[in-house]
Amino acid sequence: MNFNIEIPHSIDELVLTLNKFKNKNYRIGAGCTDLLMELKNNSASNLTIINISQVDDFNFNNVKLSNGNVDIGANTTAFKICENENILENYKTLHEAALNLASAQIRQVATIGGNICTASPSGDLICALMALKAQLYIKNSLGENREISILDFYKGVRKTDLKHGEFLSHLSLNSNNKNAFKTKSGFIKIGTRKSMECSVVSLAYHIQIDKKGNIIETGLAFGASAPIVKYATRACDFLIGKKIDSLSKTEIDTFAKLVVEYASPIDDIRATAWYRKQVLFNISKSILEKNIEK
Amino acid sequence: MGELNKLKVIGTPVPKHDGKIRASGKAVYGHDIKLKDMLYGAILRTEHPCATIEKIDISKALKLKGVECIITAKDIDVNNIGYKRDHPILKSNEVNCERDEIAAVAAQTKEIAIKALQLIKVKYKVKKGIFDPFEALDLNSPKINSFNSGKFDNKNIAEVFKYSHGNIEEEKSKSKVHIKRRFTLPRVTHACLGTSNISAQYDKISGKLLLYSSTQVPFLYQRDMAHALKMNPSDIRVIQPVIGGGFGSKLDMYPFEPICALLSIKTGKPVQIIYSRKEEFLASPTRQPMIIDISCGADKNGSFTYRDIKIIKDNGAYTSWGATTPFVIMQAFSSLYKVAACNFEATAVYTNNVFAGSFRGYGNPQATFALERMIDLLADELKMSKSEIRLKNANFKGEITGQGLHYDTCGHKECLETVINKSNFNKSTKKSKEGRYKKGIGLASMLHVGGGAKIYRSDGCGTTVKIDPYGYCTVISGSNEIGQGSETVLAMIASEELGISLEKIKIINTDTDIKPWDVGVHASRTSFVAGNSLLGAINLLKIKLNKKAKELLDSKNDDFNYENGCIIDNTEDKSINLDKVVREMHFSEPNELAIASYFYEPSSQFQDKEFKGNVSGSYAFASQAIEVEVDTYTGNVNILNVYVAQDVGKVLNPLLLDGQIHGGILQGIGYAVSEEMIYKNGILQNPNFHNYKLLTASDIPQIHFFPIETNDKQGPYGAKGVGEAPLIPTAAAIANAVCDALEVEFLELPLTPERVLKAFNNKKKLIHEF
Ligand SMILES: Cc1cc2nc3c(=O)[nH]c(=O)nc-3n(C[C@H](O)[C@H](O)[C@H](O)COP(=O)(O)OP(=O)(O)OC[C@H]3O[C@@H](n4cnc5c(N)ncnc54)[C@H](O)[C@@H]3O)c2cc1C
Repeated sequence: MNFNIEIPHSIDELVLTLNKFKNKNYRIGAGCTDLLMELKNNSASNLTIINISQVDDFNFNNVKLSNGNVDIGANTTAFKICENENILENYKTLHEAALNLASAQIRQVATIGGNICTASPSGDLICALMALKAQLYIKNSLGENREISILDFYKGVRKTDLKHGEFLSHLSLNSNNKNAFKTKSGFIKIGTRKSMECSVVSLAYHIQIDKKGNIIETGLAFGASAPIVKYATRACDFLIGKKIDSLSKTEIDTFAKLVVEYASPIDDIRATAWYRKQVLFNISKSILEKNIEK
Repeated sequence: MGELNKLKVIGTPVPKHDGKIRASGKAVYGHDIKLKDMLYGAILRTEHPCATIEKIDISKALKLKGVECIITAKDIDVNNIGYKRDHPILKSNEVNCERDEIAAVAAQTKEIAIKALQLIKVKYKVKKGIFDPFEALDLNSPKINSFNSGKFDNKNIAEVFKYSHGNIEEEKSKSKVHIKRRFTLPRVTHACLGTSNISAQYDKISGKLLLYSSTQVPFLYQRDMAHALKMNPSDIRVIQPVIGGGFGSKLDMYPFEPICALLSIKTGKPVQIIYSRKEEFLASPTRQPMIIDISCGADKNGSFTYRDIKIIKDNGAYTSWGATTPFVIMQAFSSLYKVAACNFEATAVYTNNVFAGSFRGYGNPQATFALERMIDLLADELKMSKSEIRLKNANFKGEITGQGLHYDTCGHKECLETVINKSNFNKSTKKSKEGRYKKGIGLASMLHVGGGAKIYRSDGCGTTVKIDPYGYCTVISGSNEIGQGSETVLAMIASEELGISLEKIKIINTDTDIKPWDVGVHASRTSFVAGNSLLGAINLLKIKLNKKAKELLDSKNDDFNYENGCIIDNTEDKSINLDKVVREMHFSEPNELAIASYFYEPSSQFQDKEFKGNVSGSYAFASQAIEVEVDTYTGNVNILNVYVAQDVGKVLNPLLLDGQIHGGILQGIGYAVSEEMIYKNGILQNPNFHNYKLLTASDIPQIHFFPIETNDKQGPYGAKGVGEAPLIPTAAAIANAVCDALEVEFLELPLTPERVLKAFNNKKKLIHEF
């Protein structure tokens, strides 16, 4: 592992640095919890790490409210997300995903931008952000901006829509539907250990319910069971208009089957495809079952 | 020895002697050693687990700037290692497992050494390996280890252990129920946080070799190293830096150690080898995987009648001390719970897998798993309660078992009763058919040596104790510290007996040139053997001190109390400072040192050819009741409560004891539910913590610990060994609990979420099967 380091201190400097290196071999590093692992096995020469962790910009490093939406800077750590009251109250799925990421030590440095851009099929924050249909904001080396929904961002195994010279500046979560009386929002992570665990299956759900108990908006995504984190559109649509408290066993099963239809897991060292599908089915059911013990 | 009811230091929660330097990062581990002109060594291992080596070309690597030395088998004049001497240090003609060492480099930096390895070209002729011990036993299979002694009928058998007592056929005819099963146990690793390391410094002028090594057995290691290198053992000095975890992994000497010495001998410079984490997974030893066939029975009253056991152990390509685990395994089968007859046979079979070594429990977790699962099955068959059948057959004080173990003290029944009561084991748990989470509870006991184990010519330990003219005490102990806390316990004993405060006690225990002989840290023996040895030395020293005190105090007494730095004559109400007594000894006639040495040899016996005899000075017992909740949606086993009662003889230090219990149980839980080295054709698929599921602090369940004090008169203050015990029954109790929760049977470990879910689904014949 041998590389040079560039350390921009502001967004403007970051843009200039990207411009300077746009034709060279560079990588962006935030918390570097993914990047270092990758570089350990890969000794490319003439590599420059553009270390963005020193960028001193409030919006880039924090969660903030803007016109009712919540904006989260790409450099916000998992720890800060866990601590944010607004996220805990309104987007519990993201709170729980961040709280279950790795370990207390890693959460101090691991960023949401790193999680999104690594594009791991088991990325926990990606999964929650998909259920929340987050909007991503991207800047390039000329300082130009564009936006894209996280649902359109992933192009294949560890491939994103991000072009050379671009970086993720922040993302935005829409406020919950104003008719939403309550939300059923959470994140289920399945693995063997209670911490330092990479999801074998994960499921993020964000279901909004009106005063009468009708399901009015849904978002559901799962990880580690396909080449990318998957959004289960048909399962989400299936629930719209139904009453949360009077779903039949058949309806719950149909919903869970619709989720699993999006899965295309493989057998690997952590679990077989069979296990992943079976568990995805079971935990999908579990979120709608009334008497969820625990 | 101080009177038990008046102990001041023993039994109190004294924090670890070396706790502060470890917690503050100041401890010097092998990884921290930097010697002048030191080179960095690295080892080239085979690319194939089974192949012939046709050519090794080191020419390119030699040309790399910064490379100082490269060795292959043809460059060295050495003996094979391993207790069967079946293991070449560097392999020349053939490679037989994934770990095999082919060449080694010493270079100016670690990076250069690794680069040089990449430049060494080896031409292999790949052969089909044999990874299944049953296939290896097939007469048509090729001979795997060409150094195999050929002592046995089959060319791939490395070792056989046979044992029996009682009349099996007669007991069978008395039995009402018979159960027969095959259990399969996985390969797991110690995962020491400090990876394997060694620094070797050869002095060309004196011809002496200095090794900074993490071995658990420095004196045996010195001898093994000398044999390997064809040197005189006394020309080798072994210094142990702070050790980052042992758990049995450092009982054997491995090829990387003489390799490092050879690189130093060749270059005349110090050389250091430190494993990366990946190398640690690949190349450090493991627990023995084994297949246990067992049949056993009980009569109509639930008394155990017979046990018939056949074990096939995957020895891997070479033989380590791990092959001798049947010593301990047969103890569990022959002597845990009363049993009238036992037949036992264990065969270690060479394969092209990596070789296993010694690991905390030494075969006992495997044996206890099989045995305690069988007891549950016997109870079910007899429609007897699982607690009653165990209590009925529990070992007792005064028992001499079929194997000849003498239980002078025995807390087995009390351990069982304690965990049965505390866990509410007998409250009828009606299993609900519906519902996602299912609770279960399991019970298991264990028996382990608690006073050393006489498997070498001596199971002894030497100690020298001295007091200086300032009243400080130095204990030079043959035993060593591997993190378990033996330094602390020794300091506590010295403090108790000599009335010297703990800060004034120094423990010297890391240097073979200084310390007296000891067999090593294993078999949960250190507090027992080194503790007794220290007590013996203190007794001798007190004879000298008492004599001088009597003279100085002008006292009629011969017996004195040692308290607060003073020697006290209670009957005449006189006292004198200890340091003053020492000064008077040194500086006035007849001028002698306040120093004494003692060699303690436990009263245990060597076992005879049939493996019968009282092999330990004392025996430890423990029971665990473990409550689990199984998630039938995911197969995850959540450990709710662990109730542990352990016959520790006497609690020497409750804090350190708790540490052993917590660590052991977590290791046991890992063995039960998560840890497994996964191999595909002899190649390890998960050489990292990412996929090797070592548990972490967040996985520690509620542990309720109840020490049982049986005050064994052989032990220091009545204490027995405690180190290995907490891990031994854990997997068995958890497996029993999971079987109880789901009403399905498991025959293998670990109970991973996937295995559990599959078993549950198969039972329920679930409709949505994928
Ligand atoms: C022990 C361990 C446990 C882990 N456990 C989990 C877990 O439980 N769940 C989970 O989801 N992940 C886990 N991870 C993965 C990792 O910690 C997360 O993905 C983390 O969020 C990555 O953030 P980072 O800041 O460290 O990213 P970095 O490593 O700095 O970057 C990751 C990638 O994103 C790119 N990148 C970073 N920021 C930007 C940006 N602003 N714009 C464009 N590209 C960018 C980098 O170039 C790089 O390719 C674990 C990792 C480790 C080492």
